[in-house]
Amino acid sequence: MKGFLDYKDGNSIFHKMNPLSKLFLAVVLCAMCFVSSNIYFVAGVIVINLLIAFAAGIHKMALSILSGLLKLSIVLFIVQVLFVRSGNALFTIPGLNLPITDDGVYFSLLFVLRLLATALPLAVMLSVTQMSDLANVMVSKLKIPYKYAFAVITVIRFIPVFASEMAGIIESQTARGVEFDTKNIFRKIGLIIPLCVPLLISSVKKIDSSAIAAELRGFNRRTSKSGYKKYPFGGNDIFAVLICAVVITAGIMI
Amino acid sequence: MIEFKNVCFRYETEDTIKNLNFHIEKGDFVAILGSNGAGKTTMSKLFNGILKPTSGDVVINGLNTKTTRTSMLAKHIGFLFQNPDRQICKNTIRDELMFSMECIGADNADAQKRVDTIIEKFGFDPSHDPFSLSRGERQKIALASIIVTEPDVLVLDEPTTGLDYAECMQILNIVSELNSRGTTVVMVTHDMELVLDFAKKVLVMTDGRMIAFDEMRKVMKNMEVLSEARLLPPQIADLALRFEGFDDVYTHEEMFQKIKEKVRV
Repeated sequence: MKGFLDYKDGNSIFHKMNPLSKLFLAVVLCAMCFVSSNIYFVAGVIVINLLIAFAAGIHKMALSILSGLLKLSIVLFIVQVLFVRSGNALFTIPGLNLPITDDGVYFSLLFVLRLLATALPLAVMLSVTQMSDLANVMVSKLKIPYKYAFAVITVIRFIPVFASEMAGIIESQTARGVEFDTKNIFRKIGLIIPLCVPLLISSVKKIDSSAIAAELRGFNRRTSKSGYKKYPFGGNDIFAVLICAVVITAGIMI
Repeated sequence: MIEFKNVCFRYETEDTIKNLNFHIEKGDFVAILGSNGAGKTTMSKLFNGILKPTSGDVVINGLNTKTTRTSMLAKHIGFLFQNPDRQICKNTIRDELMFSMECIGADNADAQKRVDTIIEKFGFDPSHDPFSLSRGERQKIALASIIVTEPDVLVLDEPTTGLDYAECMQILNIVSELNSRGTTVVMVTHDMELVLDFAKKVLVMTDGRMIAFDEMRKVMKNMEVLSEARLLPPQIADLALRFEGFDDVYTHEEMFQKIKEKVRV
């Protein structure tokens, strides 16, 4: 997961698209997973996400996210399938007398597919869009006040920073004997709690210095017309609209 | 004591560390030198198994880092990182030091005794909040929380980054004292003056390869090695190289004595 959510340089059609089109495409892909309850459609959205990632040359990152979420999905599927009692019983777990129903399997599968399908679009969109472009387009086209746009992109930008900081803290603590290298997952979770202190301290320091730097560079004087870059819509954006149209139509029809 | 046998390490496709072979004896003070990107920090993380070799073996006190967990190696090898804030996690200095003792499974009475000794040695106020102190003080706390466990080996990754001269010397004098009492010290640095003052041996790296591992005095005037590693010799050693008959001069004191001697002649 190294470099997760970092911008990956490239020259693909998705890199060249207007940031707003990419944002719109990501939102449509996520939203349609909840509009449709058809598992084939949701699986199709995952395939579309992967095709976009391949076209943008960030398939390794996308596959790494998928494989990371797959483990969580398996756990969620098992938990979910045990609690849904409606529908026809497919079989009963011997000893526990717990029925596994067709509705249970269907809804659990839909649940985990939705998780996978909605995690990818945002990550893919952020990997092919510069944060500054995203903020600028939110201000210039969507007329969102810069302070709010800045807050959104700062939150996103800090996720990989904090992930890397956490990895560094875990390394430091393991080196002094904290058993983060244990295979016992419950023990590991218990050990995370004391680490919140150094993470919190470093996060507050980073945010504080970022805020001071922004203030010194005239953050509060910025208006919606301050950006020098223009974001016109072009031929590449028609492709995004086409994908959206296909996905929306398919989501409603299926 | 510490043995690197055909050690290679790669993050992705290319080897960051290339075929390292060396042996460090108990009580040595080894400085690892190299320019930025030479692989010094990666190599230092191989010492205690934070990174496991892609091929080859790292053996510390007979324990192979591939098969021994890093947290288990903490009893034998202490590691001081560049950033003390990643290590400090308690609200008072005493708690921080006690936490180190807990991590290695020391019994309470022994832990209290050792913590008291270290607090006295460093002159800490035990109830002080570490996060309210200066960077240099926090680095001292991080060092204290390592040496309180009395490891056989101490690995320091750029321990003086961001410290002023006085803080730097304070930390290295403590390290030097530990070394004189038998602790093996491995220090990653690019500060040549510090190497001159404290190290007994020098390991020079460039592009993930070891290009020299010898006595400090031999390496410091080996211009071929230093230039390959894109390093400049310490100022005094550099000056001494320009004079005839100054071959054995490495420190300010030696330079002073030599000049005095020459003036007398």
